[in-house]
Amino acid sequence: MTAALAAADVRPHRLNHRPATLSIDRVSVEIAMRRGKARVVDDVTLEVWPSEIVGLIGESGSGKTLTALSVLGLLPRRARIASGQIRLNGDSLADKSDADRRRLRGDRMAFIPQDALRALNPVLRVDRQVGEPLKIHRGTAWSRAKARAVDLLGSVHIASPEQRAREYPHQYSGGMQQRAMIAMGLALDPELLVADEPTTALDVTVQAQVLRLLREIRDTHGTAILLITHDLGVVATTCDWVYVMYAGAVLESGPVARLFRSPQHPYTQALLRATPTVRTVQAELVSIPGQIPLPFDLPQGCRFADRCPKRFARCAEPPPLFEAAPGHVSRCWLAEAGHG
Amino acid sequence: MSAAAPSRHITWSRWRLLAIGGALVSLVLIAAAFAEFVAPFSPYDLDVASMLQGPSAAHWLGTDEIGRDVLSRAIFAARISVEVALVAVGVGLLGGTVIGIAAGYFGGLLDQALMRFMELLFSFPAILLAIILMASLGTNILNAMVAIGIIFIPGFSRLARAATNDVLRHQYIDAARTIGMTDARILWREVLPNVMTPLLVEATVAFAYAVLLESALSFLGLGAQPPEPSWGNMLNTGRGFMAQAPWLSIVPGMAMFIAVLGFNLLGDGLRDALDPHLRET
Repeated sequence: MTAALAAADVRPHRLNHRPATLSIDRVSVEIAMRRGKARVVDDVTLEVWPSEIVGLIGESGSGKTLTALSVLGLLPRRARIASGQIRLNGDSLADKSDADRRRLRGDRMAFIPQDALRALNPVLRVDRQVGEPLKIHRGTAWSRAKARAVDLLGSVHIASPEQRAREYPHQYSGGMQQRAMIAMGLALDPELLVADEPTTALDVTVQAQVLRLLREIRDTHGTAILLITHDLGVVATTCDWVYVMYAGAVLESGPVARLFRSPQHPYTQALLRATPTVRTVQAELVSIPGQIPLPFDLPQGCRFADRCPKRFARCAEPPPLFEAAPGHVSRCWLAEAGHG
Repeated sequence: MSAAAPSRHITWSRWRLLAIGGALVSLVLIAAAFAEFVAPFSPYDLDVASMLQGPSAAHWLGTDEIGRDVLSRAIFAARISVEVALVAVGVGLLGGTVIGIAAGYFGGLLDQALMRFMELLFSFPAILLAIILMASLGTNILNAMVAIGIIFIPGFSRLARAATNDVLRHQYIDAARTIGMTDARILWREVLPNVMTPLLVEATVAFAYAVLLESALSFLGLGAQPPEPSWGNMLNTGRGFMAQAPWLSIVPGMAMFIAVLGFNLLGDGLRDALDPHLRET
C-alpha cells in the first residue's frame, strides 16, 4: 500500500477535493496582559473533515479552549487572532463582519459546552431553549420551533420527549442536560460541531452514552466534530484523528489508531504512560515532572524540552513538524529522518 | 443565613409574612380603588354644624375643622397615595432597570458614566432632591410622582446592575452567544427574566417609601393640593388641632402606618417566597 492510499484510508474525503469543513491555518492567538502580549495559541494548524470526529487533547492551559473560541469568533475581549486563517468550508471567517459571524453560530456551526446545566437558562423551559436557534436564524414561529424541539430531544434519545420538553433544566439529569444541549446544537443541522469537554462533568456510564451519541451524529448527519478533551480514553474510543496540544502549540497529530500505537513525540508518550489502565497494575501513578511553561516565558527551542526525558542538544532550536507516517506528524527533532 | 433544612416552621413563617402583608395591602388597594363605594361621605362635603367633632355613630372617625368626614377623606387619600406610588415606582423601576442592565451588560465607559451619574443622584437626601425637582417642575401631583420616581432610579439601577453582573457570570450567557443570539435578544431573553425577582421585591419596598415620600411632600404643601385629601396634608392640618382634635393627626398617621407596614411585609414575604434556594423544598 502506498503512502497516499494509506492517508486516503483514514481521511477518505481528502480525495474528493472538497474543502475541509473546518480549516485552522497557522493561527496564533494573543492576549494583552500587563506584562505584554502572551501568545497562548501559537501557529496552530488543524483540519476537521465531514463525517469525522477530531480530538484536540491537552492539559489545562494548553490553549485548546481558546482555539475553539477563535473558531466561533467568541474570544474574550483581551484576546485576538494575531495571525493565520480560519475557514469554514473554504470561506474565511476573518473576512466576515461580526454580524455575519454571529449568523454562522448556531446555524452552520454549533458549540457544546462543558457544563450543560450552567449553559441552560434556569428560568426557561427546555423546548424554548432547544427551539431557540430556529427562532433566531429562521424566524420560525414558536409553536413550530417547540414542536421541532420535541423531535430533536427524541433524536438524542430523551425518553418521552413530549413531556420532558415542557420541563425546566434542573429537572433533567446531568446526561439529559448534555443531550439537550446537543439537541440544541443540532437544531439547524450544522456542518461543524465544536464540543468543549462535553463529558467532563458526567459520570462514566453517562459519558459513554454521550460519546456514542456524538458518533451517531457523525454517522447519520455527516457532521464534522471537533472534540476538545483532556481525556485520552475519550480520544481512543471516539475520535478518528487527534491533535495533541501543549503550551499553545500542536506537538503531534495523526490518525488515532496509529498515534496510539506508535506515539512519536516524547510528550505524547509521557501522556500515554501517565494514563492509568486496568491491565497494567501500577504501584505508583506516573506523572510528568515539571509544569507547563507560562505563555510569556516560553523556552526558545522546543517548549517541552525542560520536562523531556529524551532532551538533547538539538532541542534548543524550535523543531518543525516531521512526518513520521502518512498524516502522522510530530514536532520533535527525534522524528527527523534518521532518528526515527 | 437561614439555609436551613426544609421545615414546617420556615414554610409557615414565610406564608405568614405574605398573608399579613397581603391583607394590609389589599385593604389599602380596595380603599383606593373603590373609594366612592367604601367611603360613607364625600371627602369634600362640608358639615359646618359638626366641626371638629370626635368619633361618633355618624362620623366614625370624627370630622375636621370645616366639618368634613375624616374617615372618608382618609379613604380617598389612599387613592392619591396609591396612584403616586404606582407611577413613581413604575418610573423608578423602568428607568432603573434600563440603566442598570445597560451599565452591567455593556460595561466600560458607559457603565462608568451611568453609575457615576446615579451616585450623584444618590448623594442628595431624597426629600431635598424631590423639593428641588418640584421647584423646577412646578407643584402638582403629577410632578410629585415623577420626582419620587426619579429618586428611585439610582436604587433600582444599582440593584439591576449588580443582578446583571451576576447573571453575566453564568455560562448560559456564553451559550446564548454560541447559538448566535444578538445582544438585544440576550438582554431580553436571558438577562431580564433572571434579574426580575430582586427588582420586584425592591419595588414593593419602594412602594412603601413612595407612600411616605408623597405624604411628606403633601405635608410640606408640595404634593396634593387642598382641598384634595392626602394623608400628608391631613396630617399638616391636624397639626394645628393636636390638643382639641387628636384624631385629625392619628387617623392619617395610622393609615400611613398600615400602608407602609403592609408593603414592607409583602416585600419580605415575596423575597422569601421567590428565593429559589428555599423554593425547591
